[in-house]
Amino acid sequence: MPESQRITLQEDLTIYHAQEQKMLLLETLAQADAVELDLSQVSEMDTAGLQLLILLKREAQKAGKKATIAAHSQAVRSVIDFCNLAAYLGDPLVIPAQETH
Amino acid sequence: MTEMITQVPPPAAGATRLPLAGTDHSPQQYLTFLLGGEMFAVGILNVKEIIEYGIVTRIPMTPPFIRGVINLRGSVVPIVDLASRFGKPPSKVSRRTCIVIIEVNEGEERHDLGIIVDAVSEALEIPSSEIEPPPTFGANIRSDFITGMGKVNGRFVIILNVDQVLSVEEISLLSQMAASGTTPEAGTEAGAS
Amino acid sequence: MDELTSVFVQESREQLADMEAGLLRLEQDPNDADNINAIFRAAHTIKGASGVIECGFIEAFTHKVENLLDKLRNGEITVSANLATLLLGCCDHMGRLIDVLEAAQAEPPADIAAQGEDLTRQLAAYLNPEAAPPPVTEDPGQVPVVEQESPVEVSGGGVVITDGWHISVRFGPNVLRGGMDPLSFLRYLASLGEILDMETLPDAMPDADEMDPESCYLGFEIHFQTRASKADIERVFDFVRDECELRILPPSSKLSEYLQLIEELPEDSMRLGEILVRCGALTQAELEEGLRLQQESRLGRAEDSKTPPAQLGEILVEQKVVQKNLVDAAVDKQAQVSEKKARESRMIRVQADKLDKLIDLVGELVISGASTNLLATRSGQTELVEATSILSRLVEDIRNSALQLRMVQIGETFNRFHRVVRDVAKELGKNIELQISGGETELDKSVVEKIGDPLMHLVRNALDHGIEPASVRAAAGKPVQGHVALNAYHDSGSIVIEVSDDGGGLKKERILAKAIEKGLVQPGQNLSDQEIVNLIFEPGFSTMEKVSNLSGRGVGMDVVRRNIQSLRGTVDVTTQEGRGSTFTIRLPLTLAIIDGFLVGVDKSAYIIPLDTVVECIELKDQPDNQHYLNLRGEVLPFVRLRDTFGIKGADPVRENVVVVQYAGQKAGIVVDQLMGEFQTVIKPLGDIFKHLRGIGGSTILGSGEVALILDVQALVQRCAAAEENRMRNINRLLSTSPN
Repeated sequence: MPESQRITLQEDLTIYHAQEQKMLLLETLAQADAVELDLSQVSEMDTAGLQLLILLKREAQKAGKKATIAAHSQAVRSVIDFCNLAAYLGDPLVIPAQETH
Repeated sequence: MTEMITQVPPPAAGATRLPLAGTDHSPQQYLTFLLGGEMFAVGILNVKEIIEYGIVTRIPMTPPFIRGVINLRGSVVPIVDLASRFGKPPSKVSRRTCIVIIEVNEGEERHDLGIIVDAVSEALEIPSSEIEPPPTFGANIRSDFITGMGKVNGRFVIILNVDQVLSVEEISLLSQMAASGTTPEAGTEAGAS
Repeated sequence: MDELTSVFVQESREQLADMEAGLLRLEQDPNDADNINAIFRAAHTIKGASGVIECGFIEAFTHKVENLLDKLRNGEITVSANLATLLLGCCDHMGRLIDVLEAAQAEPPADIAAQGEDLTRQLAAYLNPEAAPPPVTEDPGQVPVVEQESPVEVSGGGVVITDGWHISVRFGPNVLRGGMDPLSFLRYLASLGEILDMETLPDAMPDADEMDPESCYLGFEIHFQTRASKADIERVFDFVRDECELRILPPSSKLSEYLQLIEELPEDSMRLGEILVRCGALTQAELEEGLRLQQESRLGRAEDSKTPPAQLGEILVEQKVVQKNLVDAAVDKQAQVSEKKARESRMIRVQADKLDKLIDLVGELVISGASTNLLATRSGQTELVEATSILSRLVEDIRNSALQLRMVQIGETFNRFHRVVRDVAKELGKNIELQISGGETELDKSVVEKIGDPLMHLVRNALDHGIEPASVRAAAGKPVQGHVALNAYHDSGSIVIEVSDDGGGLKKERILAKAIEKGLVQPGQNLSDQEIVNLIFEPGFSTMEKVSNLSGRGVGMDVVRRNIQSLRGTVDVTTQEGRGSTFTIRLPLTLAIIDGFLVGVDKSAYIIPLDTVVECIELKDQPDNQHYLNLRGEVLPFVRLRDTFGIKGADPVRENVVVVQYAGQKAGIVVDQLMGEFQTVIKPLGDIFKHLRGIGGSTILGSGEVALILDVQALVQRCAAAEENRMRNINRLLSTSPN
């Protein structure tokens, strides 16, 4: 089993892709000890997408594995921020320099 | 000098004399009309419209100078026989008889009333300088009905104080008197029939 | 004044009326918790709404009143007569503040401000003793934060110190599939104010296998700051209303309400409590206090039911068991609430002048419909006649519906008098009860608006002059408590309003003496009892020597009568010395349109209000000098319009009698032709004819002619009076003439 598997999601994290993304995420988690998610290509995320992130995180915890979000897009960051879930998802949010004040 | 005094009655001393018509002191427009062979005028600002004499519905138990009411585009407007109001024989309806609808101000309220005139003459301007105070007698009309005597082409026209002539308060009082006065009469009439 | 403010003014006045009614009930039944809650809600609503429209002076004052009401609600203070008086005073003051707002003044003028300060001081006197050291028996273990605010009661709980709303929302599984994204609703919510904190709760999400990525499992606890109203917040979730569970706690909600929220929500109580603390809705101390109280109450309940006290753990387990029921109950309740809301939302507010305009238009429609009918009939085209008759039936329906729009119950007007009676009775030191009946009787809004003043005068008169002092009543063997009654009912197309009292009645000798003194009647003038009593309606008449500050406002019964007459109504009085008086006001149901019966005399047409018409018969073989006829064995006096109205013209070939009934009396009106029913748009005749008795108004016929509407009662009375007069004259002649 590979130590860490990195997935880069190309599709948006929305209800339209939720079924296949759920399969993808859970299968990836099953095959590795740690999953790194690259969401930098995700230009849209809705509640269904958010739920998938929460699900992945919870399943990882249950299995004693790690799931981290390695890269955020602006859309993902704003949802996580809005829902006050940055701490729960436990990933360092990369804040682009120009937006810090 | 005398003209000055008649033109602008000083407000303080004005108690004995009625102020000139309206609030406007500049030359005013008047509508002149014939009634019983005499020429009368009313301030044009009071005139709302002039209509043909039509069907007038009589109101029972009212004094004779109240001809009745008409339907003026959905509003019921009382019609006063001006000649009767002046104590003269009632106007006879002819081809030229008109009803002049006049707006009367009574305190805060405004009322529309119609007056029956024998014929409408013209609308003209009478400068204040051409208006004499009403005579104390001789006009055969209550002096408080008259605002002044206008000189038009060497003739006098009687400028009426419509608020006084068509005082709703006074007319309604007269109606009340007429109504209560006829009560026993109506009874005897009923008994006689 | 902007629309928002005018809505506020109107709605707040309604709330104030409710509040006042509640306060008056409070005196009767101080323990009615529902009533106290209703009073509190009214004040709370006004306060909240005044905040929305940013009217600081109303908000500030109402807030103080609300504080006191809150204590009352929690049973911390008890109802006393003084407290009720103070609260009623506050109610009045709030009314005055609303007046200030309505007059678009930025601040209340000095005198009102001073009254407000005075009331505030009195309120503080009730509020502050509570801040004094608590009794020794008080549990020393109470958490200071909560105690500072007010001692928490198990039943109620103190107010949670927070300046924000708490919104708790759980989205249902089908929301996403329905194409709705909860996040977008929350973003929209954020646009209404500021989300101070939001916690996302994924607790409902099942294990991975069962988790359907297209179902929604999320819930949110939101601490929210806004100027928006609860309704505004609810509206945010309108689209998902059926698909989500929404709970909203306004700012400064009670601890107990938070506890209830915690209990109702599906998540674990402890966890929820923590979440509430985390998102700033509660402080840790408040939460602990709340949980402790909750436990105590359970223990208390357990003891009451003689079962062993439960442990905390058990409570939590037990709680899980009952949870389902609680949730169901909450859901049920919510369904009821939304149903009620739906009913309320089916009511719409319409500006009165828009309605008046509609009624005017309907009036014009009726008139032009009549003229169309006339033309159709003249044309003789059957199809046209049929079409117009369908049209006129529709117009009639529209007319009825339009008039119905303006009908309101008189009860609201009546209820205002509870306060008047209470205050005036107190001032006069009399014990008087107000009885109200027939409050559901409906009449035209424009009539209701104008009847308030005359009623007020009659009621005050009854209180002031009618009901005797207790000592006099006792001496007369009457119950010490006096009664004033308001009653309303419909009678042949009129509404009848009665103001009666069981007081001393009108004293005829005094009235007569006074009238003679005032020169209203001549000494020795022969008057019937009724005529004497009716003298009180004459201008400048007042029997009381001493002018009290109640009735001594310079208006008398003449003003009452004039006001009522201007509504085409009448007022009568019946009185029995020592037993009381009854003032009977008769008013037309509407001032706009009536069903009429068209009759003709010579060339003139007249309208008799249809609801007074009983039947029509032909007048035959009638002796000329007899003014009554035999109606199936009944004596029916009649009035010949031709004579009464002095109509000249040739005698008709035949005459008809319209039998009318009014106030229980029958009479006949003799006319020439009967022309059938006619929808009658009432056109007032104007001030010139205001003294005219027997004619109630006019209308415009299809031909464009004006026809007069008969005032049947006045007409019959007029003729009766004339006849009586004549008989009296004859009697006088007979008695004075030598044999």
